[in-house]
Amino acid sequence: MKIKLTWKLWFLAIILLLSLLSIFGLPSFDKGVVITSVETNSTSFNEGLRKGQIITSIDGKEIISLEDYTSALKNKFVSGERIKTTIISDNTEYILYSNQTPQITVAEIPVTNLKLGLDLSGGARALVKAKDRELTSSEINDLIDIMGNRLNVYGIADLNIVPVSDLEGNNFVLIEIAGATPKDLEKLISQQGKFEAKIGNETVFIGGERDITSVCRNDATCAGVTGCFESPDGAGEFCNFRFSIYLSEEAAERHADITKNLSVNSTPQGNYLTERLDLYLDDTLVDSLLISEELKGRVTTQIAISGSGAGENREDAISTADAEMHNLQTILITGSLPYQLEIVKLDTISPTLGKEFTKYLLWAGLAAFFAVSIIIVIRYRNIKASLAVLFTMLSEVIIILGVASLIDWNLDFASIAGILATIGTGVDDQIVILDESKGSSNLSIKQRLKRAFAIILGAYFTACVSLLPLLWAGAGLLKGFAVTTLIGITIGVLITRPAFSDIVKKMGE
Amino acid sequence: MEEQEKKHWHDRYYKKLLIIPLVLLLLSLFYLGSFYLETGDFFKKDISLTGGTSVTIYGNVDREGLEISLLDKLEEVSTRTIYDVLTNEEKAVIIETTSNVNETRVAIEEYLGYDLTEENSSFEFTGASLSSSFYKQLLIAILIAFLFMAIVVFIIFRTVLPSLAVIISAFADIVMTLALADILGLKMSAAGIVALLMLIGYSVDTDILLTTRLLKRDEGSVNQRIYGAFKTGTTMTLTSLLAIFFALIIVRSFSVVLTEIFTILVIGLAFDLLNTWITNVSILKWYIKNKK
Repeated sequence: MKIKLTWKLWFLAIILLLSLLSIFGLPSFDKGVVITSVETNSTSFNEGLRKGQIITSIDGKEIISLEDYTSALKNKFVSGERIKTTIISDNTEYILYSNQTPQITVAEIPVTNLKLGLDLSGGARALVKAKDRELTSSEINDLIDIMGNRLNVYGIADLNIVPVSDLEGNNFVLIEIAGATPKDLEKLISQQGKFEAKIGNETVFIGGERDITSVCRNDATCAGVTGCFESPDGAGEFCNFRFSIYLSEEAAERHADITKNLSVNSTPQGNYLTERLDLYLDDTLVDSLLISEELKGRVTTQIAISGSGAGENREDAISTADAEMHNLQTILITGSLPYQLEIVKLDTISPTLGKEFTKYLLWAGLAAFFAVSIIIVIRYRNIKASLAVLFTMLSEVIIILGVASLIDWNLDFASIAGILATIGTGVDDQIVILDESKGSSNLSIKQRLKRAFAIILGAYFTACVSLLPLLWAGAGLLKGFAVTTLIGITIGVLITRPAFSDIVKKMGE
Repeated sequence: MEEQEKKHWHDRYYKKLLIIPLVLLLLSLFYLGSFYLETGDFFKKDISLTGGTSVTIYGNVDREGLEISLLDKLEEVSTRTIYDVLTNEEKAVIIETTSNVNETRVAIEEYLGYDLTEENSSFEFTGASLSSSFYKQLLIAILIAFLFMAIVVFIIFRTVLPSLAVIISAFADIVMTLALADILGLKMSAAGIVALLMLIGYSVDTDILLTTRLLKRDEGSVNQRIYGAFKTGTTMTLTSLLAIFFALIIVRSFSVVLTEIFTILVIGLAFDLLNTWITNVSILKWYIKNKK
């Protein structure tokens, strides 16, 4: 090549290279599946498996694809016995003893480091605020802690909970969950979850770690669906579930104190106390348990909680009962939220369509690129100039994506609109540079390009200020657009426009 | 010679040309005003701004049958179908209603006879309180953006009338776009309002180019400078217009949000051609001739 690169072009070249590195990472020859989430406190978690690790082998079988992963674990745990599983991940061997499939989710190793937002990858997004009251920022932080804990205990690992506020000073909590949406999401986040067990009018224990030391979960010996029946009205089925909880000494003694004064009822089914143990969830009676005679006045720390779920058929009923049980267990472990909440926005986006969306977006991008090429070629009838415009446009997209993957920015529809806005102004500015460079002949090309930059900077500043209000308006839901556009046009003015004007200068000489 | 004739023509008629955008602007304002009196708003809002639920069901669904069955179960139901751009196959049906998620889900499942899962559907719900504050804030955002833009334009040109010309053109772009959107029956969501913001940016680009060329340069006649700016400016707007139009054709088959943004931009950019090259040019020329 005869053309000597100026420092601005070198700068562009280096930034481009770094951006490509940021998007695609160092060339990797890893084969396997990557762990996308690990349930906290599961066997897998305790043995050291973490999000981001790459599993290459299970029980000696090589894992290359998702199918390999599924087939390696399929039918392995049907017996319900504790068996050994050997997982090799990142050259380390992990040995798990468990009676169920590892509580992790995996995916194929992604080609790029780009994070697709909920619009493209699927998932759920909820905006929550306190009912009938305004929360201070410290109350919001408490709420985020409890809610994060609740979702983690429920088994959702891939989540993002942040406080947001809007122009009117309202405070919200924004919850984003990637991938599959849990069945009971709405309940899980908006339910206050005030659990009370009462005998008569006296409270025996409430949800949360003060009264309940542990809750049996994921263990078929003390938690599960116990039986299913046809509904009395003939419409569908219902299933009962039952699980054990362990009370603190204090709560157990309270139980003894209250029960010791109760009398005994003799029934054909057995002898029970006259009062029942009533379970209330958010002030609604959910279940009423008979207390057997032996428990009278005794300090018992283990109590069985039961309930039921209904469905159109047995399968449905089992899955509802399972979800109800899971939800109740979560609430008993994490305790109640300090106030009632209201979901003001809830979006669940199907994850199965993400791939298709991305494909269409690429097509739309190509179509736009094609349209720009046509006009530029027709207008300038100069292959070199047209190629320079298209090259600059492409490098701008690459640099924006590079920055996005560097700062872990989630690309959603708003960000994509932002990238589009950037490319639009980018091409506009390049047309200004091209036309100005051909302008009046009594000025040097340097002066002419300086004039082009006066126009470009004017347009840049007006665009910047008009985007500012979007950073706060509407609880920040449109922030993605504003931030992407601001990053994009700033990159344009600082990096690609100067480089483009150097190319134009070279062509002029 | 041709150049001479053009000059001649434009010098004689540039004030009269102003009548076209003026009439359009007045008609648009009148239409928006009566729309406001009739509906209490300047445009039709979708559920993200009124509150309610939007459900997208993928696969083959009998849209008409579904709509009829939902009409008496849910409030303010509207439905539409999305087609694949290449095969023209039905891809999805979108149902919008002001009812809440659970009522909507139950009513749809009743008609379809199968469950809506995350495999076959997407849900979007916005509460009424949030959407009304959302709407207010977005309007404020547009006003602030417009104000900031006006301030920066004043700082750049430091003269009242030329700066006002830029601002009037941007204002006319927005008003005419909104009026046409109303006439076409487009429903605006938060995304539509974002599109209006983008429009401010695109619109001001060409106006700044024009004003800089006319006021801050001295080579060539006024008409030559206008013509030069016109060549550059229309290339800018036409590239954006065509690129967005091409993308719109594809985007229509999968994203409601992007379709809305792109449609508004296409309308807005077309009006921008008119407002930059008639409204803004005529006001500027008037200003320059008076100064002489």
